[in-house]
Amino acid sequence: MKRNPDSALNVMGKTTYIDDLPESTEMLHAAIVCSPSAHGRYERLDTAAALAYAPGVRVLEASDVPGQNELSTSIPDEPMLSTGEWHFRGEVLALVLAPSRSVARRAAALVKLVGREDLPAVVDPREAYAQGKLIMAPRTQRLGDPEAAYADCDVVVTGRVESAGQEHVYLETQGAVAYPDDAGGVRVVSSTQSPSGVQSIVARILGLPMNKVEIETRRLGGAFGGKEDQASGWAALAALGAYRTGKPVKLYLNRRDDMTSTGKRHPYSSDFKIGLKKDGTILAFEADYYQNAGAATDLSPAIIPRTLFHAANAYHIPNVRATGTMCRTNLVPFTAFRGFGGPQGVFVIECAIEKAARALGVDPVKIQRKNLLSEGDVSHYGMRMDDVRATDTFSRCMDKAKWTELRAGIAAYNAANAATKRGAAAIPICFGISFTKIMLNQGGALVHVYSDGSVSVSTGAVEMGQGVGRKIAVVSSRTLGAPIDSVRVESTRTTTVANTVATAASSGADINAMAAQVACIEIKKRLVALAAKLRGAAPEAVDLRDGYVTVGGVADGELSFAAIVAKAFENRVDLSAHAFYATPGLHYDMKAEFGTPFYYHVYGCAVVTATLDVIRGSYRFDDAIIVHDIAESIDPLVDMGQVEGAFAQGLGWACLEELKFDDAGRLLADTLSTYKLPDAHFMPRMDVEFFTKPNPKVVANSKAVGEPPFIYGLAGYFAVLDALKAARPEGPSFHDLPMTPEKAMLFLTGDLGAAVKGL
Amino acid sequence: MRIQLTVNGLGYERDCAEHRTLLRFLREDLGLMGTKEGCGMGECGACTVIMNGRAVNSCMVLAVEADGATIRTIEGEADGPSLSDIQKAFERNHAVQCGFCTAGMVMSVKELLSEHPKPSADQVKEAIEGNFCRCTGYTQIVEAVLDLTGSPEKKGELEHV
Ligand code: FES
Ligand code: FES
Repeated sequence: MKRNPDSALNVMGKTTYIDDLPESTEMLHAAIVCSPSAHGRYERLDTAAALAYAPGVRVLEASDVPGQNELSTSIPDEPMLSTGEWHFRGEVLALVLAPSRSVARRAAALVKLVGREDLPAVVDPREAYAQGKLIMAPRTQRLGDPEAAYADCDVVVTGRVESAGQEHVYLETQGAVAYPDDAGGVRVVSSTQSPSGVQSIVARILGLPMNKVEIETRRLGGAFGGKEDQASGWAALAALGAYRTGKPVKLYLNRRDDMTSTGKRHPYSSDFKIGLKKDGTILAFEADYYQNAGAATDLSPAIIPRTLFHAANAYHIPNVRATGTMCRTNLVPFTAFRGFGGPQGVFVIECAIEKAARALGVDPVKIQRKNLLSEGDVSHYGMRMDDVRATDTFSRCMDKAKWTELRAGIAAYNAANAATKRGAAAIPICFGISFTKIMLNQGGALVHVYSDGSVSVSTGAVEMGQGVGRKIAVVSSRTLGAPIDSVRVESTRTTTVANTVATAASSGADINAMAAQVACIEIKKRLVALAAKLRGAAPEAVDLRDGYVTVGGVADGELSFAAIVAKAFENRVDLSAHAFYATPGLHYDMKAEFGTPFYYHVYGCAVVTATLDVIRGSYRFDDAIIVHDIAESIDPLVDMGQVEGAFAQGLGWACLEELKFDDAGRLLADTLSTYKLPDAHFMPRMDVEFFTKPNPKVVANSKAVGEPPFIYGLAGYFAVLDALKAARPEGPSFHDLPMTPEKAMLFLTGDLGAAVKGL
Repeated sequence: MRIQLTVNGLGYERDCAEHRTLLRFLREDLGLMGTKEGCGMGECGACTVIMNGRAVNSCMVLAVEADGATIRTIEGEADGPSLSDIQKAFERNHAVQCGFCTAGMVMSVKELLSEHPKPSADQVKEAIEGNFCRCTGYTQIVEAVLDLTGSPEKKGELEHV
């Protein structure tokens, strides 16, 4: 049987997460004191009651930070500990340390604000925009001249689109354990996607050089972007505690604190204008995206360009203008979440197409198909699209779904049924792969082969369930010719591979498996040279495959991988190698908003069908048919899990998960009882087919997989909308995600206008 | 209060505060870290264990309520290094991604199979409806169970390399 050793440990409950690390008796537990409203200030904290609550309680404030009290990696607007003014509800004001977690939490509740004054709060991005509260100047990408092109259009449609944020709900909440070291530094085990990122923040906070800060990450219980920049603060707080007390400190958020105090997917409010010919050809498209960035910069300036890059989704449109504005509000700083602003951009163009299809009286699929990208098209950001797979995947998906029959069947069903209606929709995707910030497209690996033939591979990649460790092991094993069972992928540590980037942007395997491959090639070269010498053969005739040296293609039974390694050690051959990989060919001119920001694109298409209960507004998803551009999969089961899991999250965002804040900036859905997640019943029958044309640009001819399939979830939104339109054809356009049953109900009763902005 | 209980076939007798949850008791007093806390509020199912034959959220059960009870946790599922059939099916079908929900999932499935050895896909979904998985989208989990029980509904054409 073919096995995934990570899964074997997981099914036995033997894998260790932050909360499972051994706790020594001297360990201190931390709890946070949070701001009580969305905006306000205070004169000082009264910690007397907290300190008196139990022996051993300590309270750390901003003045205890020895270095720079700043978490941001761009504009310095995010203090780790508040300095007298807070900008969102859940901001950390102080850290309380105690011998046990429950004492720490109870003492934290006793810290009081002296001289509290609440200040006006802005929660709506358009209001922030009107007040001039921006993170940075807006960015605009353009191609051609949309204004002029509308004159040639037969129909021009405008509209407003809302998309709500999304809570990550990684099942393991954020946390870290920090250990002081004898040289005055710290070692932190952090639940982060970016150990090097955490390292630089901890060093900054403590005022230490980076070589006195070691970060280790073994695995995460899910992350999805939520532990990219946002893990740093928790690690740095724990590190501060360890630094100040000389004792190990554990900070592990409970679910409510995590939901209240950590960033989520950005809510967007957008306007569009689209112009088409009668035949469905899109001539012009304009969009203005008002991104609710929250109270601090975080990753918003990196996320907004990805929204703009995905403004036209998988379509070629000759005239485009897309403007993204980062609006500063008094909500938690919004952050990376699978798709990184791309899904929000795709939603707007798909809403525009849906509305245009209504105006033209055609099936939206007709417009989608007509405008798909072709080989050699130049995108609105100046990238020449090559190896385009838009039509291949779209057509295959339509065939699998038998779209014409499906449509006819639904029409017949809807004509015959009043109490229930069916709907269907398709979403093609074209997702750019590479970090939008070009410097991040680099990675390193360190490979050791031990003298017994076992292999240790370290990279910058963090395993969070996406299977990157598995892919690195497979690539290393194949490259070295070593048995897969002999390869161990190590935890991610800043002392083994330095200056790495976050495991994010779907690029974890692309970058890190590539770096590991380069290191393995180097070691293999040395082993092959030795084997050639030992056997008196030409090096070109010698190889290492499937655990054996081969000479002239024939396995040498006496020279197993372990045997040649033992010989190499005897012959003083270096059995370690470090390697580096930087994605080639990327360039982008930020001023001109023009260039090649992506190494390649991932294509695909999803069709989703739904059945709506017209009396109740409830619905169920029947089928999801997906054709996904996987290229050559390194591990098909792992990739299938990524596609299905991303789709589930996308469907949750599009339809179910309602991240609701009230006007005072308070998160109303701050537990898993009020924030509804997809469960097993929510999912439709899944039929996923891989489109398997190799991608020679990437290690093992593969393609990145993490984020793109998230966008398929939007098909769920439009499938329900399709059923709603069948139930109430005179109803208005309705582009306000998520499509909760509550909103569906209001649409059916005609009461939606009062509940939804922009109608 | 002094409580006595059997966990994975071993008897334990311990002093335990009345407000201590079974989850904390298992993890902190018995050192059984395989059972996870995802919410602490009875919503996510990560803490599922089997108590007297029923799957329960151990974060919602007080340890003192488990006095005299027989408990099974994930640590009792494998026989040394050899996985149970459910565990093998999870591994074979990649029903595990980050692994944080896995212990609870396996326990819920175990309860299901003790009553319905050949469940339908819907019965599987019902059995795990109280277990959130944020990673897999559930499909590979349902497939794993159906693969194990030999139901024709499974797909199962993919394999790990
Ligand atoms: S931890 Fe018990 S249900 Fe979530
Ligand atoms: S595998 Fe990550 S939550 Fe289920």
